[in-house]
Amino acid sequence: MRAIGRWIDERLQLSALVTAFLDRPVPRQVGWFHTLGSATLFLIVLQVVTGIALSLAYVPSPDHAYESIAFIDTMPLGAVVRGVHQWGASLLVLVVGLHALRVFAWAAYKYPRELNWVIGAFLFLVVLAFAFTGYLLPWDQKAYWATVVGTNIAGQAPLIGGAVLELLRGGQQLGAVTLARFYGIHVWVLPAALIVLVAVHLFAVVRQGIAAPPRLVPLAQPMLGESRRAAYEREYAAEKHVGKPFYEALLPDAIVALILLAIVLAAAVIIGAPLEERADPNAVGYVPRPDWYFLDLFQLLWYFTGELESLLIFGFLTVAALVFVLVPFLDRNPARHPRNRPFALNLMGATVVAVLGLTYVGATAAPSGLPVVPAVAGMSADELAGLELFNAQGCTACHSVRGVGGSAGPALPEPDAKWEAERVRRLIVSPEDEEMPAFDQLSPEELDRLVAFLLSLKPGSAP
Amino acid sequence: MDHEPQPGPRNRSRRTFVLRVLGVIAAQLGLGISAPVVGFGSAPSWRARTPPRLLSESVVPTLRAQGWTSVGRIEDFEVGVPKRVAPVRRVVDGWVTREEPIAVYVVRRSGSKAVAFDPHCTHLGCPLQFVEGARVFLCPCHGGVFDSKGSVVAGPPPRPMVRYETKVEQGEILIGALEE
Repeated sequence: MRAIGRWIDERLQLSALVTAFLDRPVPRQVGWFHTLGSATLFLIVLQVVTGIALSLAYVPSPDHAYESIAFIDTMPLGAVVRGVHQWGASLLVLVVGLHALRVFAWAAYKYPRELNWVIGAFLFLVVLAFAFTGYLLPWDQKAYWATVVGTNIAGQAPLIGGAVLELLRGGQQLGAVTLARFYGIHVWVLPAALIVLVAVHLFAVVRQGIAAPPRLVPLAQPMLGESRRAAYEREYAAEKHVGKPFYEALLPDAIVALILLAIVLAAAVIIGAPLEERADPNAVGYVPRPDWYFLDLFQLLWYFTGELESLLIFGFLTVAALVFVLVPFLDRNPARHPRNRPFALNLMGATVVAVLGLTYVGATAAPSGLPVVPAVAGMSADELAGLELFNAQGCTACHSVRGVGGSAGPALPEPDAKWEAERVRRLIVSPEDEEMPAFDQLSPEELDRLVAFLLSLKPGSAP
Repeated sequence: MDHEPQPGPRNRSRRTFVLRVLGVIAAQLGLGISAPVVGFGSAPSWRARTPPRLLSESVVPTLRAQGWTSVGRIEDFEVGVPKRVAPVRRVVDGWVTREEPIAVYVVRRSGSKAVAFDPHCTHLGCPLQFVEGARVFLCPCHGGVFDSKGSVVAGPPPRPMVRYETKVEQGEILIGALEE
């Protein structure tokens, strides 16, 4: 074995390269936080390997996609491989996000590493594109409807929306063409982009050295008249002088990779890879929800409404992506230590809180239904029963009570109207306004309760 | 030793010339490969298309001109109450053509009139469900609400529900293409 190694090395002269790579000095504080980058790389490798395995049995056609996935699950270790791919994807989105946060917090995107931030930002977007395209492939309900909603969001872009929608779907419809397209993008186009970007990203890391965690007092102060490059090189040389060999830093990397592998394997074996019912464009009652990493965006759509919705969504996402990619050029503050960058750190904190908040609200939100008017203290049993009817009969779709409900009909009670039992009852059963459906199917008792509730809304009446 | 090119003014200009030629050839190779590939890949967004774009159509792939399909006898529908039916229609999906049931909500109007709705929200295409008690179509995604005439009563949908062309012949309700 050793002889073979020597034989190869004599010809390729690799050992000198490997030794130089492993023994090169890196800053001393390179440690556990730096493992996020290598963890991202590890998860990418995991996705590539399991993805290749899945491609051996997967068929990207609506006629067979779902069945081939179900078949994979019946094969020995099939469900495990698919589970690793799915859980690995979730973990990858999480870890790549944390990696970006760490780099941001430690200002590692500043001179001379601006370019590598930009490449990393594109890598982040590529990972999200992987998630989005991978999603559709199982062709189950979740896959189908998440893609309907996702592509329609893109299709809302002003002017170019229609073209974008067709570019994504391969036509106007979401169907066989879309599935083949997403598959091609997922297994060829994005991996090609990924490999090039990762290669450049890693090359830059090796070439420029790992950024030292910022110090409040740098090891070397710039000298008068010294160029930025010279000052930086002196400081980084000082960091490396008190540094440690790279192989020491690899140890935490390896341990984290091992832990991540254990987590993903455990999730794949214990939970498996969820698969919903086969995709059905005619589904009724299905509640489309994306995976957790797109829930924030899904939830955001609740808040951008009205005429300008499409413009707001498109503008917001474009600006957010641009700001993210261009961080090194927008942040002109030369300071690196978090304590000297209050604005940047606050912005980061606010972004994290917003994303977590939206994700939480999106994850816990019930499927959207009619607005529900809450009960207030002091209501009688009849009034409470009436309120229940009011909510159940869908009155809130058009009428608002105490600010809750739709605006198609008048808010209740109407301020100027004669608000008395006889008239209210008549208006429910046979409305004067032809826009309102007649609720003549209610029993007299139900009507009594509904009227009791509505009368209790009159200002001045108890409670 | 005498094979080594001599670094001199003549050789340097030759070097510049060769590199420029290489650059031009590389650009042509790149353009020659990428033009058809990028063109093919992006074709769906620029090729000529006949039917106008409709959200509901983009959700349920339906061939536009396929004549009329019966959804049932008019007396089986209660006036003003949307009823879900699933007539079998011809569906063209990329390279596949198949006959399959399509979800349609049909509402009988007074006398012998009827309208038929595509049950997808005009906001982002989520599946609408008719709620009997409330007499509204609800979208489970972002709170869109339509009344039984298909008009928006709440939420973000920008347009009323999309209808099918509808006619009644000899007591039979027929649906045609999606209306624009």
